[in-house]
Amino acid sequence: MSDLILKRLQEIVGVENVVSDPLSKIVYGSDSSVHSSPADYIVRPLYIEHIQQVLKFANSKRIPVVPRGSGSGMSGHAVPIDGGIVLDMKQMNKIVEINPENLYCRVQPGVIDDRLNEKLAKHKLFYPPAPASSNIATIGGEISTNASGIRSVKYGATRDYVLGLKVVLANGDLVNLGTVTPVESSGYQIHRLIVGSEGTLAVIVEATLKLIPIPKFRCLGICSFKRLSDAGDSISAIISAGLRPSMLELMDNIAIKAVNSSLDLGLPDVEAIIFFEADGMVKEEVDYQIDGIEDRCLANHGFSLETSYDPKQRAKLYLGRKKLFPSLSRYKDGYVCTSLADDMGIPYTKMAECAEMIHKISNKYGLIMSAYGHCGSGCMHTKILFDPNDEYKWLDAENAVEEIYSYVREIGGTTSAEHGVALSKAQAFKEEKKDSLELMRSIKKAFDPNGILNPHKLQDAPSRWIDATAIRYGKENFR
Amino acid sequence: MSDNKLKKWAPEMDICIRCGYCLEQCPVFDATGWETDSPRGKVIIAHALLNGQIEPSSEIAKKFYQCVSCKDCMARCSANVPVYEIINSARSFLVKLGLIDQTHKSVIDKVIESGNIFGQELEPDKQDGDFTLYIGCQYLSRMNLVKKYIKVLERIGLKPRIKEEICCGYPIKSLGFDDEIENYHNRFQEIFPEKDIVTLCPTCAVFLKEEYGKNVKHITQVLAENLPECESDISVTYHDPCDLSRGLGIIDEPRQILEKLGVELIEMPRNRESSYCCGGGGGLLMSDVGLSDKIARERMLEAASTGADYLVTPCPTCEKVLKTSYMSLKSDGIKTIPVRNLIQIIEKVLKNYY
Repeated sequence: MSDLILKRLQEIVGVENVVSDPLSKIVYGSDSSVHSSPADYIVRPLYIEHIQQVLKFANSKRIPVVPRGSGSGMSGHAVPIDGGIVLDMKQMNKIVEINPENLYCRVQPGVIDDRLNEKLAKHKLFYPPAPASSNIATIGGEISTNASGIRSVKYGATRDYVLGLKVVLANGDLVNLGTVTPVESSGYQIHRLIVGSEGTLAVIVEATLKLIPIPKFRCLGICSFKRLSDAGDSISAIISAGLRPSMLELMDNIAIKAVNSSLDLGLPDVEAIIFFEADGMVKEEVDYQIDGIEDRCLANHGFSLETSYDPKQRAKLYLGRKKLFPSLSRYKDGYVCTSLADDMGIPYTKMAECAEMIHKISNKYGLIMSAYGHCGSGCMHTKILFDPNDEYKWLDAENAVEEIYSYVREIGGTTSAEHGVALSKAQAFKEEKKDSLELMRSIKKAFDPNGILNPHKLQDAPSRWIDATAIRYGKENFR
Repeated sequence: MSDNKLKKWAPEMDICIRCGYCLEQCPVFDATGWETDSPRGKVIIAHALLNGQIEPSSEIAKKFYQCVSCKDCMARCSANVPVYEIINSARSFLVKLGLIDQTHKSVIDKVIESGNIFGQELEPDKQDGDFTLYIGCQYLSRMNLVKKYIKVLERIGLKPRIKEEICCGYPIKSLGFDDEIENYHNRFQEIFPEKDIVTLCPTCAVFLKEEYGKNVKHITQVLAENLPECESDISVTYHDPCDLSRGLGIIDEPRQILEKLGVELIEMPRNRESSYCCGGGGGLLMSDVGLSDKIARERMLEAASTGADYLVTPCPTCEKVLKTSYMSLKSDGIKTIPVRNLIQIIEKVLKNYY
């Protein structure tokens, strides 16, 4: 049977675009999460017709199909929990159209975010929802997770920029969704439902994206705080004052130490810092925003406040934030950096309390947890650092995750603000969305009656992340 | 499997968060498009190998030799995962298990028997001087270029000492023949016991520094300090050899040379510490010449996009690989630019001054 499947896939996309060797099965069974589960076949489609034929075939044989971009997701989106076909979308990487007059572009799903923005810059335009991984993240992957990043505080998330999509359904049908206009009131906007659906409803084969003119002026600032709570209160004050920073980031002392040790940036060794940025077409507008932010920081005991319009200085400071996630891996010898409870959505007024709660829970379980994130858009990140070879620490991590999410639900927050749910966060997600799970399952069934598209993720994921798949670390699997 | 060298790196494989930032500019991944060939893919394979998830095989060995050792992955990794060391340890682990590529074995035999990678009698004209100039195999096979370097050095008042030569041993180590390098080490040190050495080849420079702890100066550093100011109507694009830029941080000196010569420098989009490999490093030229050529073509097309008169580089391997690609592009009717060794440009400009 497996030989027949391989043969058919080779007929569809060509022998050179299918692999099924033991090494590729393992490599494509992993992403930036803690999960690992081998693929059976890895297929590289080059054309929409390839995807249609692969899905038609897979649907008829009930073979799972997992679309994959660069595999930078942190929750196990691209991990093929039931094996099957991994659709590696990176070869479909053409920018189909840039339409500067109508402020949109059309791209294939494998286009890398930074590469798109390099092309758009020639038209003085940009596509704003860049996550920290924009150097490798594909547009398809970003749409699948409704990704956002440091500028989401002003510019929003991916869903705000997807005007239309071409998708292939599980049965192989090609469907056009949405439009190219910035507003639409023509019935169900199904493309907006596809955004954030994590490859469970359809395979994205083209996206029409809204573009924004690049601001002429940008100013970046940094402010130190002796107390984490003061930094959190500053963020809340800035937002509630109606200011519109283009970046408002919190970093706690653990994050500061990690970045300093890995990148030698010389950030101040204080309990917390806030990075802020304002942008605009006229300098007066930027100055107004920066003055307002500075006032709120100083009123909340901020000090060592610095600002800069210099692109080089801005780039250096921005690098520290961009590479924070990998830097945390180096915080303590023998510890690893895991993405478990890592991107909660938090009400502004609870930012400070949430950061302190994260530290309290980490202390309780003898873990290291950093609190940082795009707090200006209500996104609190944390990473859990511990010795992966200590079986009990995995159980501690599981308990800590549960406590964090329980707190997040209590204060009216949400499980995931920008990374998506997949496997790692499914347990908390299901608890948070328990009223609508059956509705979600009905929607899934309508799109994919045989359940072949990225099965057992989101509402259908196993209850416990810790035994959903093998864990990628160490020699043992703590199942 | 407990005594294998790979085990030392097990914690580093856990440190890798598999973010994939290393995919951004890996030439091998660019060329094949398969994640299995990427740095992250290789770390995952090494991890699986160590944990017994997969058994050692010649297919796995082949995978670890599909690497140009350009270290671009490491430059992009803020977790500082030593991908290069992990790959090299995997190579040596597999060699110890007898999974040896016969082409590699033949090169190593040649180095050990003849003292150079070509298995030929290659001896420079010895001369006494004020500092040791280490030539290295690739330049040794092209003594016309070496003579030009020596001539320029002497014209600016510097007298290099040229001694009996043997290969630095880099191929032995990089191809994973650890037992052999231990024996070879002493042989090299007997001929070159001195601490201070100037090298012509960037790869030898890195290896002499890291393996033997030498105080190494690359020829571009020496020339940058001593060349006179000149004028010229030549334009070039400069190809940073990986071992010089990411390996030793020697980035400005070659550009200072070009500036002193009055040569117009038109940079390629990927330059300095973000330079793109020529495709010839890490033994790839021996292991997979097709893949190596694909990478070289990519670099040559980038060079052609600058519109410069020449692509110039001080590395003999880069020069050789890119020249081959130049010929192949030319025969395919694709627009490209000729490749020159840095010394050829220096000589061309200085000719008007001496």
